[in-house]
Amino acid sequence: MKERILSRVRRALEHRPKAELPEPLTPPKLSPEEALRLFQERLSGNGGEAVRLGGLEEAKTWLAEFARAFSGAAVGKTLPDALRPDLPEMSPEEAPLGLSWALGAVAETGSVIVGSEEGRRVQLLPPTHLAFIPQGKVFGTLAEALAELKDRLPSAIALHSGPSKSADIGQVMVRGVHGPGRLIAAIVADPTD
Amino acid sequence: MQVKSKDYPKESARILREEPQVRESVTGATLNFDRNRRAAYAEVEAERWRDWAEGVKNHVLTHLDTYLEQAEQSLSAAGVRVHWAEDAEQAQRIVAEIARSGGVKKVVKAKTMVSEELGINPMLEAMGIEALETDLGEYIIQLLEQPPSHIVGPAIHLNLEQIRKLFHERFGTPLDATPDSLASVARKILREGFLKADMGISGGNFVVAETGTLALIENEGNIRLSTSAPRIHVALVGIEKLLPRFSDLAVFLSLTARAATGQRLGTFVSLLHGPRKPGEPDGPEEVHVVFVDNGRSSVLADPEAWETLRCVRCAACLNACPVYRQTGGHPYGYVYSGPIGAVLAPGLVGLEETQPLPYASSLCGACYEVCPVKIPIPRLLLAWRNRAVEEGMLPWVEKAAITGYAFTMTHPRLYKLASKALRLLPATALDNTVLPVLKAWTEGRAGLEPSPKSFRELWEEGL
Repeated sequence: MKERILSRVRRALEHRPKAELPEPLTPPKLSPEEALRLFQERLSGNGGEAVRLGGLEEAKTWLAEFARAFSGAAVGKTLPDALRPDLPEMSPEEAPLGLSWALGAVAETGSVIVGSEEGRRVQLLPPTHLAFIPQGKVFGTLAEALAELKDRLPSAIALHSGPSKSADIGQVMVRGVHGPGRLIAAIVADPTD
Repeated sequence: MQVKSKDYPKESARILREEPQVRESVTGATLNFDRNRRAAYAEVEAERWRDWAEGVKNHVLTHLDTYLEQAEQSLSAAGVRVHWAEDAEQAQRIVAEIARSGGVKKVVKAKTMVSEELGINPMLEAMGIEALETDLGEYIIQLLEQPPSHIVGPAIHLNLEQIRKLFHERFGTPLDATPDSLASVARKILREGFLKADMGISGGNFVVAETGTLALIENEGNIRLSTSAPRIHVALVGIEKLLPRFSDLAVFLSLTARAATGQRLGTFVSLLHGPRKPGEPDGPEEVHVVFVDNGRSSVLADPEAWETLRCVRCAACLNACPVYRQTGGHPYGYVYSGPIGAVLAPGLVGLEETQPLPYASSLCGACYEVCPVKIPIPRLLLAWRNRAVEEGMLPWVEKAAITGYAFTMTHPRLYKLASKALRLLPATALDNTVLPVLKAWTEGRAGLEPSPKSFRELWEEGL
């Protein structure tokens, strides 16, 4: 079947002039500070939330406060121990909160980048998704982010640009249809401190 | 899927007559999509992006055999099993075999138009396998046993009242339920579906030849769940969906979202590379990609229509089309509707079956203006019309009428006589079936009433 399709394709192209491959479009780069500001602005515009935290200590204090509203959490496999909340650990199927250690973020689209090494369900099943993002991995453009990711591709990379939504019911926007209805990006400055 | 495009004129007239809410819902939704698209294009160098995207797609299409082979290698290297389907029957057989050997009982579907094209759901049902559509709009139309009315918003033709009524009948929700509470009812049912399904079936927005990346765009999270929770994932992908380089995704993902819904990016973008890797806590154990031809290679051979294969299925042309807006997609009688459907369907299933579709346009050109890959839809509509004429597909009545009309219009005396004669006909002559030529016009429309004076007479009197 493969050969039949390929030979039909070759025959179809016999007399067609070949088109050249255009060079990639290179969008202008943003400064790190500009990227951070734009990421927060765009993610909020998409209906997500963004907080900017100092080092790991500040992140821990913030998390302790944030976690108080939840009865338990599902935790991504690669999340640093220091960022595990003081909550009973639950399966992603039951947990009201899922915690991710993001691969990065994209400023121009307001997207959090998560990977499958930490598990996929933790990013999808709990109604609230909190993703920690190392500050140095907030890329200005999608092009820069993809260039960084390309060398090591896990089985799934996903870009989450806000809460799950749908306007399929009479054109009214509904949140949290299948995936999380709330997405919080917590940017941690220099988490290796 | 069964092609019912021949009924386009009758069906569109029927919908306008009998289901006026369709026009209202579709017009409202498409104008909204189009407004958002305009703003999202204005934010970037849209012209430059469109030219570039057209160039990349033209390159892929003119080297398609090479890229298909490269994609197969990259996918296999990532652990994906690659299959090839020449037509719908082969695609069905491949999916059936994967399901059989995997002991599959339940399937979740992530919105895929190519699955509609191939008739996968009826095939699964015939095998006794439950196939659950998980996109909220697709789920709604599955409950109603209807085909999608729009490529991006399949339930775009339904208003809130109709969906309330449907959920009331099926699930006992109150008739004044909020959209939020309706969505949570569906969410509960579908969540169980994701967790119990053995297999998820998706389409594919792009496959990157260089890395074997399968890229999927969505807003709800149902595609992520369908490709993550079940132990088997099958992606049905048209052979034209390739991109050469991983970096090409940056523009294509954003351009598609901007064109489709006016977003900078779909809320969820999945970039998939095969089954779960060692150490990963979850994800499918088996991933299959089925490359589907089903008429695409003959479209590629067509000296004009091959350009339709650049299509990224964003539906921007549907949203911009003043003709589509009146009826939604159902009367087109094919999975792809609107302007792109009107030029794609004749290529994929043949002009004989779809002959009225190229006429379902005012040739205003809005579809070309918005297309992210610059498909010359108006030019192609004319090309298909020309072929329909050349191949003698027009009804003899139409041919005779046009010949007669041309003769009359070029003979002033005859024209005068004819217009006088028409005005002297009794009023009832034109509103029923006395003149068979007029039957198609008068059924479903008010009768024609000739003006008591001709235009010439009015003109001479100073109007």
